Amino acid sequence: MAKMIDSLLQGFRLHRLNRLRDQRSFLENYLPILVKAIRDREARRTALWNERAEAALRGPAILADIATPALAAEKQAALAKIEERYRWRFKALAQSKKRALERSADPAVETTFAHRAEELESRKRQTLTKCALRFETPLERSQSDLAAAKEAYRLKSEAVQAKAEKRLTLEKAKADRSVAAKTASYESKIALLGNKIEAVRGVLIARRSADADSMMPEDVLLSVRNLSMRFGGLLAVDNLSFDVRKGEIFGLIGPNGAGKTTIFNCITRFYRATAGEMLYRKNAVEVIRLNDYPVHDIIRQGIVRTFQNVELVWELSILDNLLVAAHTVYRTGFFGQLFHTPKLRREEEVMRAKAFSVLNTLGLLPYAFAIPYGLPYGILKKIELARTLMAHPRLIILDEPAAGLNDKETEELAVLIKKIRDDYHATIFLVEHDMGLVMDVCDTICAISFGKKLALGTPAEIQADKLVRSAYLGEES
Amino acid sequence: MTTLRLSFDRIRKQLASIARHPYFGFLAFGSILVVLRLLAIGGVIPNSLMKSLVITMIYAIIALGFSLLLGYGGLASLGTAGFVGLGTYFIGHFSGTLGYPFAATLLISLLGAIVLGAIVGFISLRIEGMYLAIITLGLSEILREVFKSFTAFTNGVNGLGFRDFALFGLPVSDTAVDFIVIFVFILIILGTLNIIKSPTGRALLAMKNSDSAAQSMGIGLMKYRLLAFILATIYAVIGGLLYMMDQQFSIPTTWSLDFSLNILAAVVVGGAQSITGIILGTFMIFGLNMTVLKEIAFFREYPDATWIVSGLLIILITMFYPGGLIRLIQAIRFWLVKTGKKLKRKWRIHRYGEDD
Ligand SMILES: Nc1ncnc2c1ncn2[C@@H]1O[C@H](COP(=O)(O)OP(=O)(O)O)[C@@H](O)[C@H]1O
Repeated sequence: MAKMIDSLLQGFRLHRLNRLRDQRSFLENYLPILVKAIRDREARRTALWNERAEAALRGPAILADIATPALAAEKQAALAKIEERYRWRFKALAQSKKRALERSADPAVETTFAHRAEELESRKRQTLTKCALRFETPLERSQSDLAAAKEAYRLKSEAVQAKAEKRLTLEKAKADRSVAAKTASYESKIALLGNKIEAVRGVLIARRSADADSMMPEDVLLSVRNLSMRFGGLLAVDNLSFDVRKGEIFGLIGPNGAGKTTIFNCITRFYRATAGEMLYRKNAVEVIRLNDYPVHDIIRQGIVRTFQNVELVWELSILDNLLVAAHTVYRTGFFGQLFHTPKLRREEEVMRAKAFSVLNTLGLLPYAFAIPYGLPYGILKKIELARTLMAHPRLIILDEPAAGLNDKETEELAVLIKKIRDDYHATIFLVEHDMGLVMDVCDTICAISFGKKLALGTPAEIQADKLVRSAYLGEES
Repeated sequence: MTTLRLSFDRIRKQLASIARHPYFGFLAFGSILVVLRLLAIGGVIPNSLMKSLVITMIYAIIALGFSLLLGYGGLASLGTAGFVGLGTYFIGHFSGTLGYPFAATLLISLLGAIVLGAIVGFISLRIEGMYLAIITLGLSEILREVFKSFTAFTNGVNGLGFRDFALFGLPVSDTAVDFIVIFVFILIILGTLNIIKSPTGRALLAMKNSDSAAQSMGIGLMKYRLLAFILATIYAVIGGLLYMMDQQFSIPTTWSLDFSLNILAAVVVGGAQSITGIILGTFMIFGLNMTVLKEIAFFREYPDATWIVSGLLIILITMFYPGGLIRLIQAIRFWLVKTGKKLKRKWRIHRYGEDD
């Protein structure tokens, strides 16, 4: 009885720990987005004030015959626009002339058109002069008047500059204050959560029953024990055991039909294993039996898988596909979604930022808004990989990631797999047919044949193993 | 003056950003409907046209619910009619015969919809595809038998009338009902838009594409199948409530397979995933003959021939635009832009000669 209550309490603590962690990770991720929004607003307002200052100085500058850079640029643009307009008019004239000449070879035509061209030319000159005048003072003035205007401009520009500077410093101070306040408040919240997390974790670890450790050594993430899977008369997996250690890249190899996919489907609970159990270290204090979880809860334990034949949502953009993979991370309930509450919007922003960072890591940014239809197979495979990174994975299971890829893409994939392991601190379990890839990236390999384990060891050991060689040579010959 | 230009620029930018908001088009559409209704009061447009538009809106609400099921969840159902019928009897019986306040009726209807939707959702976990469609059809037929025989609730085959509808103790006129329908229609559109643009909408699409992939991403089939069916049923029941307010009469023969098939056709013809497409599709299936064809002398003489037109349109559109009307509209828009560009280029060459 006491033991049951104890385990119940531990369960509550774990639940609380996870919630606190979620909250903390949300705050941590949302802060940069908030800061960026404040800075963007500051930049927008700064640009606005600068524009206003320029606009206020325009009149006095014209009066004082001073070509400020802004004025000069504006004048040049206006003149260029007129030039362009007349260029088209001249082209139209040339075209009419050509057509008129086609109709009749009268020499009068030539002269008429020469005349019209001259007229157009003079009109153009007039327009240009008039336009230029807009940027000069129209008044006939004595030297002293001009000097006075220049002085007025100087005063005005000083005043405007002082005002703009004041505004800009105010704007900057406001943004800084706002950023500082938000950062401080978020950081204090994060620190508070951190303390709570530590406290709960402390209790959890202190009360941890000895079972967890006795069940599984500390550094093992997944332990498959005496797994068997029977399809009717066929024993596809036969009493198989192996351990996957934290942070390693573990490869499961075997000839076609050896039972690799079946093992994989047992771990991810698509198949119900006939016998045996799969233990998984969910976190520092908890070891769970995967046998007790339904398929759609596996990802919540931190186990994510890919599919051999790419399974994307074809109607959604790549970005949205990544958001689908983050499904379990969302905390907003149905009604929050129905009304698109600010909470949902904040969550969406955090997820999108995360998705962009994942896409960036895998070099997929150019495809963020593309629809998967018609993208190259290599890219689709990478998107599958990207999806696994959205839901805080601890164990990533890849089903024949190299299938259908050419040699170059396979090499890229090897680099990527290592990168994912290092950047996302995940353990990788890969089921593969391509020996090159497996030998290249894996730390430990388990070779099976007809559902039975042939050998388990480092790539070098596997390559030297007699049984493995015969199984593979047997297949290949 | 320059300052003025600057502020104009800013206002223009802001207006443009408002116009880009996904709600904007639908809110504008709603305003147009309100204006049309006001014009009908003023006698500028015929009342009968407005009546047809209102009933089309009610059908569009039902179709939107169905699209969440078919277009997003990938689940087939032929039970729509029964659920809509149930909605009409809920309001007819509780608010009409028994005189309950509308809030109570609404609560009962929503609860009824949730229970029924959940039942069908559970069935959908075991039975899929065509068989599911047949089972829902059976359910709908059972409901129809219930409508026929439970005369205390439905007044049987003679049909149930519903007059003197009151909200908060105030009598609601026919005109007011039209405004209510427009209001609910726009609300439902916005709600649907929110759902499909949220994790739930994406989860439904994921489930439609592949059950196993969806599950491996933590999308529980049970939760989302139930949700899809409950939502579709709620939309249908709300459609039924509005139908009764508008038509003031409900009879079992209306709630037959025909009705469900018409809703299915509206969704498929419109484009199963686009709200605009579904509104267009519903208009084509239900609204077209009531508003346009009815004005043509030939169809006035042979009213049933309008179904031939609908049928032909369905065949043509599904043959040439399997993605639905919305694809046709996109194609037309694309063609217009392209032709516009081509014409402009031709004119340029004519006026200015070949490019240099
Ligand atoms: N769902 C199933 N029903 C019946 N037999 C199956 C099923 N899945 C796999 N098998 C059988 O199990 C054996 C192992 O298959 P599999 O795990 O796909 O091998 P691998 O992935 O190594 O190629 C094969 O003989 C296959 O026919």
